[in-house]
Amino acid sequence: MSAELDALIDIVVTGKIKEAAPATQKCLDAGNDAKTIIFEGLSKAMAIVGDYYASKKYFLPQVLLSANTLYQGLNLVLPLLKGKGAGTQKGTVVITVVEGDVHDIGKNIVKAMLTGLGLNVIDLGKDTPIKDIIASAKENKAEIIAESTLMTPTLEGMKETVKILKEEGMTGKTKLMIGGGATSQEFASQIGADGWSYDAVEASKVAQKFLGI
Amino acid sequence: MAMTPRERVLAAMRKEQLDRPPVAVFTQSATIGQMEALNVFWPEAHSNPQMMAKLGSGQADVLGFEAVRASFCLTAEAERLGCVVDPGKKDRTPMIKKHPFKFDPMVGEYDEPALMDPEEFLKGGRPATVIEAVKLMKEQRGKDYAVIAGNTGPFTLAGHMVSTENLVFGIMMAPEEVTKWLKAVAPICKGYTQALADAGADIIQMSEPSASTDLLSPDMFDEFAGGYCKDSLATVKGAYSVLHICGNTTPILNNMVATGVTGLSIEEKVDPKEGVRIVKKRAALIGNIGVVNPLLQGTPEDCYKHGKIVKEAGFDVVAPGCGLSALISNENLLALVKAVKE
Repeated sequence: MSAELDALIDIVVTGKIKEAAPATQKCLDAGNDAKTIIFEGLSKAMAIVGDYYASKKYFLPQVLLSANTLYQGLNLVLPLLKGKGAGTQKGTVVITVVEGDVHDIGKNIVKAMLTGLGLNVIDLGKDTPIKDIIASAKENKAEIIAESTLMTPTLEGMKETVKILKEEGMTGKTKLMIGGGATSQEFASQIGADGWSYDAVEASKVAQKFLGI
Repeated sequence: MAMTPRERVLAAMRKEQLDRPPVAVFTQSATIGQMEALNVFWPEAHSNPQMMAKLGSGQADVLGFEAVRASFCLTAEAERLGCVVDPGKKDRTPMIKKHPFKFDPMVGEYDEPALMDPEEFLKGGRPATVIEAVKLMKEQRGKDYAVIAGNTGPFTLAGHMVSTENLVFGIMMAPEEVTKWLKAVAPICKGYTQALADAGADIIQMSEPSASTDLLSPDMFDEFAGGYCKDSLATVKGAYSVLHICGNTTPILNNMVATGVTGLSIEEKVDPKEGVRIVKKRAALIGNIGVVNPLLQGTPEDCYKHGKIVKEAGFDVVAPGCGLSALISNENLLALVKAVKE
């Protein structure tokens, strides 16, 4: 572990947003490749942020700050990683808030945690029709669909996702994880979703389990 | 002589010892069961005072709860101030589709909070509809039932204007810009609270979901939410004040009490006994039956059981912990009412 990586980790954890890009550049200059910076630096930083969140040392404002700091670094190294071809990222996730709901803060935090894991995260935003989610998962050969909702009428959309995945022969190949205020483990089991998580830290663990990483 | 539901609810606001607590919905109360029984539906009832008054009385008329309440959403103020709102459907509350102001902590660009005058705010749009509905409810049902009027808290409303995520992120990046927005919306919230009381509401229940510990850290509560709730809700004249915050409010119950409101409306994520222990009768406690579980997804037996638990824990009003999902069945709500009344 280089001193530059340690410094980058600290910057992301403490949310020194303006220092993230220069610190990432320093890591590159010191000879670290993009993959090392992501997996040995940024991922570790987000794991620490996740631990702080779980232990209530951090709340959403601090996590948002760290997430935005993370993206400053990722903006520099992700293009380099993509140039290296397949196999450099550990999996693809299509993430969104289902149709009928616009509450997307939780989804954005899950996105940051999954991005921090080094996954290719495709964000469809909010209020997304189920057919668009499935189409994107197909097109991008996603291993995971992550759906969120805070509202109750939109729970139906999650049920519909399970149904369409089955019809399309995607069950098992593309795993569905769900979360958000209106969901629960019981609901996930009842509709046949592959996973449920209470918050972004758990979501990151569920995704790692699905991908075997 | 037996107490009327009105007397019971108002006595509960004063934290009087009662033979049993009242059971009432202090948050969004309409369900499809009530809409069908009364032949009044969403989305029309959001913008028609007669329909709003009728459906808002449904919790009492159809299900036997002990209060009446308007309105059914947290978008009336935001829409009046320029947000684009999707009116929703029969089973879905309206939602905000577009925030009218730019507030971007990442690039450091912030619109000035150019909002309408608080007096002007009350004269049109759905806030005027709600005020009219409250007048009708007071006239029609006020003898027997306490009339509850719901509105939106300053931090939540400011979030509607500029995007809640940006506002929360702004606390970390440019707190003075956040404060500027809170100071701009607070007089509007305060004016609306008083107008609802003047229209005849006995209780103003302000929802401030964005001040939940899911969004704000507890040490930020006083500065960015509590102080403004104190000013725009607790100071109301001629009505009781109830502050509703979602999520696990255990770490901020003392801060909520410190706003000086009459009552706190809280969710099931707070353990009922612990909530009662922390609040220690410094405010009336209202809640905290889970809306998703047991009310939406549980059985009538589950709802009955939870009703008993909250009643025995010592809540001043047994109530759903958050706004009802329109999809909750009559059977489940009737079981809750029965658990408290018997």
